[in-house]
Amino acid sequence: MNALPLTEPVLLILLSLAELPRHGYSILQDVESISGGRVRLSTGTLYGALRRLLEDGWIEQFEEEESPRGRRAYRLTAAGRRNLLLEVDRMKHLTKLASFRVARKEI
Amino acid sequence: MLALYRLLLQLYPAGYRHEYEDEMIAVFQEARACTEANEPFVRAAFCFREIYGLLRGALHERVRFSADSTPFAARRFTMRSEFRFPKSTMLLMLIILGGVILAIEKAKSIAASLPHTNPLLPPIHPLPPTFAQAVGLMFAVVYAGAIVGWVVLFALRRSGLHRLEDMDTSASQK
Repeated sequence: MNALPLTEPVLLILLSLAELPRHGYSILQDVESISGGRVRLSTGTLYGALRRLLEDGWIEQFEEEESPRGRRAYRLTAAGRRNLLLEVDRMKHLTKLASFRVARKEI
Repeated sequence: MLALYRLLLQLYPAGYRHEYEDEMIAVFQEARACTEANEPFVRAAFCFREIYGLLRGALHERVRFSADSTPFAARRFTMRSEFRFPKSTMLLMLIILGGVILAIEKAKSIAASLPHTNPLLPPIHPLPPTFAQAVGLMFAVVYAGAIVGWVVLFALRRSGLHRLEDMDTSASQK
């Protein structure tokens, strides 16, 4: 996953993990919450994205100690956080550019 | 729904299932439990989303898996030291051989069933070729020759023989 921009589901998954490590169902809930209910991921979509992010070293998995079943949770790696910041910067630049262009057109 | 979910998970490659199947089922069950109290429309939308997500994900993983297992670029340009003769080729050759033998036997039986001289048919004399036929034949021969030449060159290129020309042997001779 070298290419930016990221797709919206992937970006939301990364934003969800940027706050704190989460397990699969927690990611599903958080993505729905931070997107205002607009993005509802299926488990197929979620785990496809997680697999790619793991493979590219953007996130890592670990076993939750508190969980009785020892279920796996996911967290951002340093590289993942760096790439997420790059994406956020790119989006900021795009937003600023869009605002500027739209405002100039209105004048 | 869980049975269908498990069934659809079988569409994924085995390696992927080994890694994620249990976790996906657990997350699916949690998500489904949360939608149980909702209206039927919401539950149906959830089911549709899950089925679509699994089908799409399975297709994506299958494509990725096949692309990873037989990387085209590597297969195209990597020289192989060993001689490869797939078993499927043997099977195909045996089938073709069987077909040829059957055709020969059939032709023999037809020839045996017919009288040697057929009074109803006049003797066949080959006609001299017309100009158009001669030109067509010439083109066919030229094209066939070109195809054979191209196949030979392609085979040589695939074998990597042309790379021997680039080798610098002067150092070893000195």
